Amino acid sequence: MTRAARPSFCRAGGTPLLTVEEELKMHAVDSRPTPADTPQAPPPRHVSRVRNRSQRDSRVAWLLSLPTLLILIGMLGYPLYRMIVLSFQNMRLKELFSGATPPWAGVDQYTKALTDGVFWGVVGRTAAFTVVSVTLSVLAGLGIALLMRRVHAKVRIFMMIAMMFVWALPQLVAAQSFRWLTDSDFGVLNYVLTQLGFDYATHSWFVNPWEGWAVITTLVVWAGIPFLAISLSAGLTQVPKELLEAATVDGASAWQALRNITLPILKPLLMIVTTLSVIWNFGLFTQNWALRDGHPEPVYQTLATFSYTQAFGRSSYSYGSAISVITVLLMLGVMVFYIRQMFKIGEVD
Amino acid sequence: MTNLTTIPSAGATTAEPPAPAKETGRRVNPLGGVAHLALFLWALATVGPLIWVALASFKTNEEIFLDEPFGLPQSWAFKNFADAWSEAHIGQYFLNSVFVVLLSTAGTMLLGSMAAYVLARYRFPGNRFIYYLFVSGLAFPTFMALAPLFGIAQAMNLLDSFFGLIVIYIAYSLSFTVFFLVAFFRTLPHEIEEAATVDGAGHVRRFFQVMLPMAKSGLVSIAIFNIVGQWNQYLLPVVIMQSEDKYVLTQGIANISVSAGYQAEWGQLFAALTLSILPMIIVYAVFQRQIQAGLTSGAVK
Repeated sequence: MTRAARPSFCRAGGTPLLTVEEELKMHAVDSRPTPADTPQAPPPRHVSRVRNRSQRDSRVAWLLSLPTLLILIGMLGYPLYRMIVLSFQNMRLKELFSGATPPWAGVDQYTKALTDGVFWGVVGRTAAFTVVSVTLSVLAGLGIALLMRRVHAKVRIFMMIAMMFVWALPQLVAAQSFRWLTDSDFGVLNYVLTQLGFDYATHSWFVNPWEGWAVITTLVVWAGIPFLAISLSAGLTQVPKELLEAATVDGASAWQALRNITLPILKPLLMIVTTLSVIWNFGLFTQNWALRDGHPEPVYQTLATFSYTQAFGRSSYSYGSAISVITVLLMLGVMVFYIRQMFKIGEVD
Repeated sequence: MTNLTTIPSAGATTAEPPAPAKETGRRVNPLGGVAHLALFLWALATVGPLIWVALASFKTNEEIFLDEPFGLPQSWAFKNFADAWSEAHIGQYFLNSVFVVLLSTAGTMLLGSMAAYVLARYRFPGNRFIYYLFVSGLAFPTFMALAPLFGIAQAMNLLDSFFGLIVIYIAYSLSFTVFFLVAFFRTLPHEIEEAATVDGAGHVRRFFQVMLPMAKSGLVSIAIFNIVGQWNQYLLPVVIMQSEDKYVLTQGIANISVSAGYQAEWGQLFAALTLSILPMIIVYAVFQRQIQAGLTSGAVK
């Protein structure tokens, strides 16, 4: 909708590049009755000045992002580099202890992974879990955020504090608590179900993989909702009340108002939190690890635990690294989708 | 400029399909009731396990294992808390955590917002490249980094140093922060910044005096996300902080739960847990107004 007006702005080089004269000129142009003239190039005598400015801007930009760049390259880039190198070698216990350079293995580790049925099973399981858990938590988070707009401020604050509780709980601790809750002998869950008249006295929740995954998914969704609900409810305050009221006056139903007003405004934020949830849940490690007591059965393995088990449990460090590299690549695929969406939104805005 | 950009957008959004005017009450009360009920159920699911933890922090081992899970403790003595604080050194670890998280969150926000600002607002060669580089850090599994990270920390003499832990916390929070803030800065209006440019404000002034105040609520939210994330960090301190007097809180809690196996003082463990959650609640209570203030309130509307 603002396409017509913005590009001239952006072409001048982000916003801060306008010189005073250009700024004045643009205002002058704006006030003319023919706005179609706006995207004209500035007169030639400005060109060199604009270039100087843009060079200076470029310097400032690099300068401001330099500290972040250095820290990330040192503390994240280097370990990542080591992981990638390792994935092309064949490092076993022998090399670990002797400190010798492991033999080069080329793409052997990758061929091993990609031709392994077990690996594909893990990929499928991780993907399925991610889709289900992200869908559930985003829908629930959005629902709770919307509901919170409708209740009294005091209820809202109470809810926020309750959610902060869950959010502030370290993952490991939350997982431990769930292990206790679902314990077959002492668990609260079995106790409550038995009190309600069901025969769950010594029921083990992890014999049947569906039940086990239901517990894991419940834990992840439960722990994930607070982040989603709190950020989305902050985002909802962006939706102008007048617009919603106008829509109601015009006879729009609650559903129409949600679909046509609230969701489009919330979209950028919704995209961010969904992408983050996908990345976090795809990397599921702590929860299934702790609930299975550090020894997840094959049916409870996700990519992260599988990679860890291969690397540190079986001392196939290189194979574990290769699996991690593949995992990172899969996640980056999801993020590219997000980033393209974001740049699209940014350009229209 | 302003007129050109705002009028069409306002026109586009208010031009809802003119549905036949129905008579609906402006405030639908039944829905409010459903909302309260749904929120109540969610509150129960949220708070239930936590009440259990809080109650257990007052109980003895026997009470925790044998009595009813939601039964009240026999006495409300703070013995578990006192023991945890001094005997299990949770007090020391608590202060260590506060110190590290304060500095690392401040550092993360400063560096992250500078980088995110230029990435969102400046066009320069390499912009996209840096952005991709930054956010790809999000996809990197922390546990694979631990071994190389130990090597780096050792080489740079950062083992067992708070400074080292702070730098590493900053490194592992920056991707998330930049990712979030770039998207956020892109949604802020350009007009005020332009006006500042016209008035002759330089880059630094524009950043600190124009952009940061405008972005305040967003920055506060992300700072809180970082505080929570860094407060709960466990894997990274395990690698870096090796001597017991430099442990952070999560290490202390893990220490209680593993140290004595079945001899463990469960009451102390739950007391430590309760203590670890309290600061988050306080932080949230202090800043909830800003978090709720909305992402672009004020500024230009």
